[in-house]
Amino acid sequence: MLEYRTQGYNGYSIKYSPFFDSRIAVAAAANFGLVGNGRLYILGLTAEGIVAEKWFDTQDSLFDTTWSESHENQLLAACGDGSIKLFDITLSEFPIQSWQEHAREVFAVHWNLVAKDTFLSSSWDGTIKIWNPNAGASLTTLPTHSCTYSAQFSPHSPSILSSVSSDSHLRVFDLRTPASASNHLTMNIPIHTPPKPRIGAVAPVGIPPSEALTHDWNKYRDTIVATAGVDRMIRTFDIRMPNVGPIAILPGHEYAVRRVTWSPHLSDILLSASYDMTCRVWTDGSAMGVGQEKQQNMLPQDAMVHGGGKEMGRMGRHTEFVTGVDWCLFGAEGWCASTGWDERVLVWDCRAVMQ
Amino acid sequence: MANQTGRTSQAQDRLSQVSNHLSGGASKQGKASVLEKHPDDIVVTCALRTAITKGGKGQFKDTHAADLLHGAFKALIQRSGIDPKLVEDIAVGAVLAPGGGATEFRAAALAAGFPTTTAVKALNRQCSSGLQAVVDIANAIKSGMIDVGIGAGAESMSQNYGPQAVSEFSPLLEAHKEAANCKVPMGVLSEKMAKEKGIPRSEQDKFAAASFQKAVEAQKNGLFDEEIAPLTVKWTDPKTDEEKEITVSKDDGVRAGITAESLSKIRPAFSKDGSIHAGNASQISDGAAAVLLMKRSTAQRLGQTIVGKFVQASVVGVPPLLMGVGPAAAIPVVLEKTGLNKDDVDIYEINEAFASQCLYCIHELGLDVKKVNPKGGAIAFGHPLGVTGARQVSTLFTELKRTKQQIGVTSMCIGTGMGMAAVWVAE
Repeated sequence: MLEYRTQGYNGYSIKYSPFFDSRIAVAAAANFGLVGNGRLYILGLTAEGIVAEKWFDTQDSLFDTTWSESHENQLLAACGDGSIKLFDITLSEFPIQSWQEHAREVFAVHWNLVAKDTFLSSSWDGTIKIWNPNAGASLTTLPTHSCTYSAQFSPHSPSILSSVSSDSHLRVFDLRTPASASNHLTMNIPIHTPPKPRIGAVAPVGIPPSEALTHDWNKYRDTIVATAGVDRMIRTFDIRMPNVGPIAILPGHEYAVRRVTWSPHLSDILLSASYDMTCRVWTDGSAMGVGQEKQQNMLPQDAMVHGGGKEMGRMGRHTEFVTGVDWCLFGAEGWCASTGWDERVLVWDCRAVMQ
Repeated sequence: MANQTGRTSQAQDRLSQVSNHLSGGASKQGKASVLEKHPDDIVVTCALRTAITKGGKGQFKDTHAADLLHGAFKALIQRSGIDPKLVEDIAVGAVLAPGGGATEFRAAALAAGFPTTTAVKALNRQCSSGLQAVVDIANAIKSGMIDVGIGAGAESMSQNYGPQAVSEFSPLLEAHKEAANCKVPMGVLSEKMAKEKGIPRSEQDKFAAASFQKAVEAQKNGLFDEEIAPLTVKWTDPKTDEEKEITVSKDDGVRAGITAESLSKIRPAFSKDGSIHAGNASQISDGAAAVLLMKRSTAQRLGQTIVGKFVQASVVGVPPLLMGVGPAAAIPVVLEKTGLNKDDVDIYEINEAFASQCLYCIHELGLDVKKVNPKGGAIAFGHPLGVTGARQVSTLFTELKRTKQQIGVTSMCIGTGMGMAAVWVAE
């Protein structure tokens, strides 16, 4: 396990470069992101451990970052003052572009993985905005009417994007549909819907809505999305079947889940980061063989476990809330990096924590 | 300046957002969270009772309910060391007292040393009145209405039990079938229920005998000594008509040598071919109990010893004629509310109104019989109606502490068809 201290700054988000296996960006904020400056770290993994290649300071806290998919030296930062800033790591100090349209904190930025000339942002102001890095103003604004903690383009389609927000809904937008009255909204799935009743299990009772904080598209199964948030459950949904409720539920985290991310290598593996100070590795039970045994003898272990998924291991080395975690896209299929409020970045191999 | 104000409120917003992330969520439940300690927990710092004595012929036969309550109050003040000035409200459960006992209980509080600033109310939810009183005080503390309070129960069945305790129904109520059922006597409806649910007399007698045996054993080993506050009262010897002063410190209804066999010889009380008799139903008794409650933060500030905490209560209605199933209806609700599994609970104190209904509830809930009423129950030492709910709290906490266990549930069935249950954690 490698470690780097983001002295004086509490981590909020971490992203591996899609171009280099040794480069990581960390969005961080002073004073736990409540008030004060932000800092965007560019870290390099070297033989001598993790070194800061560069950092950029900002006026307000940074809550998220994403690498450009079209330019290996550029990345975006989501800023507490409502701005989105584009930095070039070959330059120093200042962003090469800054967009100020959101009225409140920006909580997510994400680059389109297919049409690499657009990116999106989502904010506490209840909107998602689509941008082109060459344009000074946003291309489209999609309302969600509630604090939107997480928004993403589908990795499989240039025009499909999704969001989760404090109203406990997973929204899917398709930019190919006419804007008309629905603002490209094609699906609005209540995350708290209980799963469909099944034989041998207690009928699920109503689950109250709770803030959804994070979600991620599966990298192999193009209709599967994982969500998680304040109710501590990770759920997976199949957007082909928006009305059947979650297809897998993974309870286990003891506090809210701040980030989930699907493995870039295996279609059933998820990684999560939580306020309970752990990162956990999960299978959603969709891989062959997993969960079969449990389905057969119908033992209702935890009333909420659904879909045969389970926790496969956890990393408990963080000493404060873990806010960000990301997979390395290259090399052996278990390397990942996490950051949290303990001012630390940890780079580790999740195969080492799996049982 | 304006800009600075903006930043402060923004920081406040962000802080409350993060704290909502932590406090929200449906799954803040289950054993681990029930065992957590928080400053705003409602804790019990003293729970005690008087002895429970036989109605009509026991050692409290000549003592008023309010005098029993007075004794419990004095013992509570003395044992806990609480400054009576700090107690803001007292709720007293009583079922039979004329006028609910409101007047004499207020007077008893004043006589026991509470100042005029301490409020008192009497309440009646039949057999759960004592628990309802404790829960009412807990909820008043939780809501911030008061800081320190006492939930209590007092009953003299010697003096107040009888036909006058139930008023006549109007023709309107008599004309409504379910409403009229509220008046069917306990014994009669329990007899019917035992028959309907197929609980044979042999099972009931076995359960009743076990209650006696457990109570005898507990009494012999002094397991009630901690919860009972001895009380000195005047008592007229029925043989000599001589008035004596006696100190009562033991439940006098507990009889040794009772077996299922000896109980099988008793004649049924409510119908010839019935199964319920004096030996497998709760005794008619006198007594009082009191529980001192406050927030954990208050207890720490006042230096009070924390006995345990109140977690959650539930109350549900059932058909009046199936009054006895109350605990089977109320316990699952309170477990659901707290996210506890029935096996997470170490001790169940379920009132033994009748062996038949208590057995039915144990079977229906699939409880381990060893966990239910480990020191015996109302069949062995009596059921002074309004007291039982408050009495169970002291019985439960002393046993949890002695056996080094933590989670307990108290529950009872309620006349007219209800059930109540509460979850407690000993510390």
